[in-house]
Amino acid sequence: MSDAFGFFVLLMSNGVMIGLMYSLIALGFVLVYKATDAVNFAQGEFVMIAALAVALSVLAAGAPLWVAILVGIGGMIAFGFALERVVLRKLIGRPVIAVVMATIGLASILRGVGPTFFGAGTKNLALPISDEPFILGPLFIPPIQVLGAAVSVVFIAAFGWFFLKSRKGIAMRAVADNQQVAMAMGINVQRYFGLAWAMTGIVSALGGIIWGNMLGVDVNLSLVGFKVFPVVILGGLDSIPGAIIGGLIVGLVENVAAGYVDPYVGGGTKDFAPYVLMILALMIRPYGIFGKRIIERV
Amino acid sequence: MIQRECGVLKTSYEADMALYPLPIARWTMGALAVIFFGILPLTLHEYYLSIANLVWIAVIGALGLNILVGYTGQVSIGHGAFMSVGAYTAANLATRLDSPWPVNILAGGLMAAAVGAVVGIPSLRIKGLYLAIATLAGQLIIEWIINHVTFISGGVQASIEVPRPRLGAIPLSSQRQMYFFLLVFVVLAIVATLNLVRSRIGRAFIAVRDQDIAAEIIGIDIFRYKLLAFAISSFYAGVTGVLYTYFLGIANYEQFQINVSIDYLAMIIVGGLGSVLGSVLGAAFVTLLPIVIRLGMEAFGGVFLEPQTVLNLIPNLRLMMFGALIIFFLVVEPEGLNRLWRNIRNYFRIWPFAY
Amino acid sequence: MRFHRITLVALLVALAGALAVVSPATASHEIVIGMQCDRTGATQIVGTVLCPGFHDYVALVNSKGGVGGHKIKALEIDHEYKVPPAVESYERHKKEGAVTMAVYGTPHIYALAAKLTEDRIPGTSPGFGSAAAADGIRYPYIFPIAATYWSQGTAAVDFVKKQLGTLKGKKIAFIFYDNPAGREPIEVLQDLAKIEGFEIKMFAVPPPGVEMGAQVLDIAQRFRADFVIGHLFGGAPGVSIKEFKRVGYPLRKFVSFVWGSAEVNIEAGGGFAAAEGYYTMQFAGVGEDFPVLNEIKDMYKKQGKPVPKEMASTVYYNRGVLIGALHVEAIRHAVAAKPDGKITGVDTKAGFEKISNFTLGGLVPPLKITAADHEGGGLVQIWQVKGGKFVKVTDWYAAYPDVVAKHIKAAGTK
Repeated sequence: MSDAFGFFVLLMSNGVMIGLMYSLIALGFVLVYKATDAVNFAQGEFVMIAALAVALSVLAAGAPLWVAILVGIGGMIAFGFALERVVLRKLIGRPVIAVVMATIGLASILRGVGPTFFGAGTKNLALPISDEPFILGPLFIPPIQVLGAAVSVVFIAAFGWFFLKSRKGIAMRAVADNQQVAMAMGINVQRYFGLAWAMTGIVSALGGIIWGNMLGVDVNLSLVGFKVFPVVILGGLDSIPGAIIGGLIVGLVENVAAGYVDPYVGGGTKDFAPYVLMILALMIRPYGIFGKRIIERV
Repeated sequence: MIQRECGVLKTSYEADMALYPLPIARWTMGALAVIFFGILPLTLHEYYLSIANLVWIAVIGALGLNILVGYTGQVSIGHGAFMSVGAYTAANLATRLDSPWPVNILAGGLMAAAVGAVVGIPSLRIKGLYLAIATLAGQLIIEWIINHVTFISGGVQASIEVPRPRLGAIPLSSQRQMYFFLLVFVVLAIVATLNLVRSRIGRAFIAVRDQDIAAEIIGIDIFRYKLLAFAISSFYAGVTGVLYTYFLGIANYEQFQINVSIDYLAMIIVGGLGSVLGSVLGAAFVTLLPIVIRLGMEAFGGVFLEPQTVLNLIPNLRLMMFGALIIFFLVVEPEGLNRLWRNIRNYFRIWPFAY
Repeated sequence: MRFHRITLVALLVALAGALAVVSPATASHEIVIGMQCDRTGATQIVGTVLCPGFHDYVALVNSKGGVGGHKIKALEIDHEYKVPPAVESYERHKKEGAVTMAVYGTPHIYALAAKLTEDRIPGTSPGFGSAAAADGIRYPYIFPIAATYWSQGTAAVDFVKKQLGTLKGKKIAFIFYDNPAGREPIEVLQDLAKIEGFEIKMFAVPPPGVEMGAQVLDIAQRFRADFVIGHLFGGAPGVSIKEFKRVGYPLRKFVSFVWGSAEVNIEAGGGFAAAEGYYTMQFAGVGEDFPVLNEIKDMYKKQGKPVPKEMASTVYYNRGVLIGALHVEAIRHAVAAKPDGKITGVDTKAGFEKISNFTLGGLVPPLKITAADHEGGGLVQIWQVKGGKFVKVTDWYAAYPDVVAKHIKAAGTK
């Protein structure tokens, strides 16, 4: 009995850790949506590009790890600003589907860029943490998950504080709420859009480092982007605490499904179980658990 | 120069409401019919006809998706799954009951319509991006069901071979025969869609897209019309799936995964949301683009680069150009190829008297 | 707005004009092999190494004068692991007069099976594809030409038996990619479980296989498998190595099917040092120590070009060479019957069925392909990651051929 319970605890801890790591990627998505109302279908590819930049700095240029991380973060900030300036500024005001398709197109470009210039092999992103798991009673916790969860919590708290308390954060919320009034108040809307995309870049860089270490850096890394959707929809597209809650729920549901439902139905439920839960949640709260309710007027 | 409406007078309501009331439109349609039914299939090599067949199949699917996304405003990323529902329905009927192809196509479409209506139920409460992800969930769930339920999938391989459709005693197997077979369905689909969007149902769809709360106030049952939109769109998708199965000779759900759904979304966005011509042009564009890029690279790439580098470069370049062209279209012409064509046509309408 | 429109129209016209001028030219009599590859899709990690191997072998043959004086042209088309481009590439190859097709991908061989049979062009699916297609009578134009998933399954079980001493009462976990290709070996494994008396449990990893923590935890902590057989491809094998290490499960209790078995998978899994003990199944020789590879290196040196870096990734590169070599052998047999070189798919089919005792210095297993057996015996080798490189553990072998034959026959009656 305690063996089964031990396994249950193990699954739960794995779920919590992985869930927090999903939250890190979801945070990037939420940041952009919260500030600019743009949906970023290329979040996974951002993570991949950031990881590629860091991995290459270490492997090809031989830089020490902390320099590579700075390069990665810096590169992604620049990428965010550039992206907003070149592509997204022209798409302001278009229907939701236009921006969605633009990010899908961007994802396609990024997926082609990596292998073209850097080869298709998987690159290793080594971090100075051991591979052996921490053993706490029945729990096996890999250090990378601890690092990922810690980074995730720290940065979500940081960005949460940023939006609530700092001047720039409040300005960004103003821009998200009503662009024209914000402009009338003297806020440079376009610069804040750029800042939002740059923040997504930072978060993608962090996610890239963590997930790149976990999975290896190659094109398949962009597939973590798909895991983001149930997280942000459950949590609410524009809610930062929603990103954590959504991530935790998705991580737990995935592991419960893999551990307890899979054996009965022949496997494979892990990926769509969060989506089922998501639909049920949406029927009750159509804007996600913490999402802002959009009031439509005729 | 081409003052189209000049001197065209109608004496009955039917004549005025005809699909192509202007003589120049009729001449154009006639010429297109001659080209597509006559000249092209008789002069092109089988390889090019196979590409044309892929385009025809894509057109039907794109028309269906445009009804849902373009006319009714419900974003759906589940189109691929509905196609696989239609494909497997038809495949199972063909192999288990030996039914003829008209029955299979109809059954495939209806089954897909039913499934589509079920997937559309959340649209009662959910809107916008949330609905899009809910349809994505539908896609994943349907894929899983087909993969795991061997009654539907016909075994571990999840592939069902279907016999070729027969016209009387002749099996349709060559690309040329398939071309005519598919073209008939494309014409049917286009005419059906054109009439649908001009009808009461079509206008209800457009009302739901533009201002669904106002539509509800004036008495349109938006839930019923949303479900109808999902059902009709999935019917088209199911028929597309069946036709694709007949084209290949085998039904396999791995051909209808999420990348297919996203491709169809790209088709209707590039082509133009909410227009039939847009669906056709977009489908042709997205289907032909990879082929054109590859032919171009093969012709020119050897000039600059090593063969191996070219081979490695072509597919990645294709991905990049695909993405770049989509972004280009979105930035330059957000209403797609349809708007591009309309601009050209309007320009020539009063040329050379532009003032 | 006007400016944009005009540039767009101008670009399109220029492109159309350029394409109209250039049309693919077919040289004076070359024998064409229609080759598919995946360089940008889910299995690009394989395709970008395997396809150069194929091309290099064909280039080597051409540098020696071709086959019976006829040059060979391997026309490659990338299909991104999607089916519609694969169908379009098939038609293109047919147009160019291909006499054999090197198909790439399990859903693709299924999609093209009917067309290949109708058009009477042989298509190969080495190490993947439909295991039932080993039956050459029922599928005359489909050639697995290497161990199919059923043969790989029986070989894996046999290897586990030798590792554990006995199978009775043991627990084996089968972790696999949750798609038709991944599920194919299940029925054979379950059959063997009944015959040999071991318990086997299936653990599905849904595509794209980037995250499998829960399944691995289950195998290691709840099911506590005595041995794990892995059937993953693309990026998943690398992830699986990392995951198993993370839960502390020893990799020397893991044997992987042929598509999780290359240097790139080990690198993806953290490198050779991290993957110590991992067992892999191969259907082509591993390493650079083969005469044909030295010949290819010489060929590059003679042309003054550097040896391609893909050669270092020997597992998949050698497989590419193997596939190319078998196609060329089939063509050789066909040209022997028709020396003028005007061969068709029917001739190359007969050519494939004459292949036997062709080992290329050990790179190719001693296959024997006949009209009834298009698989050639289902031979594999096991290599282990040890001391930073691959070390050979067994020589070519096949196991439980009667069980495989029974399933092939059963599939034929369905």
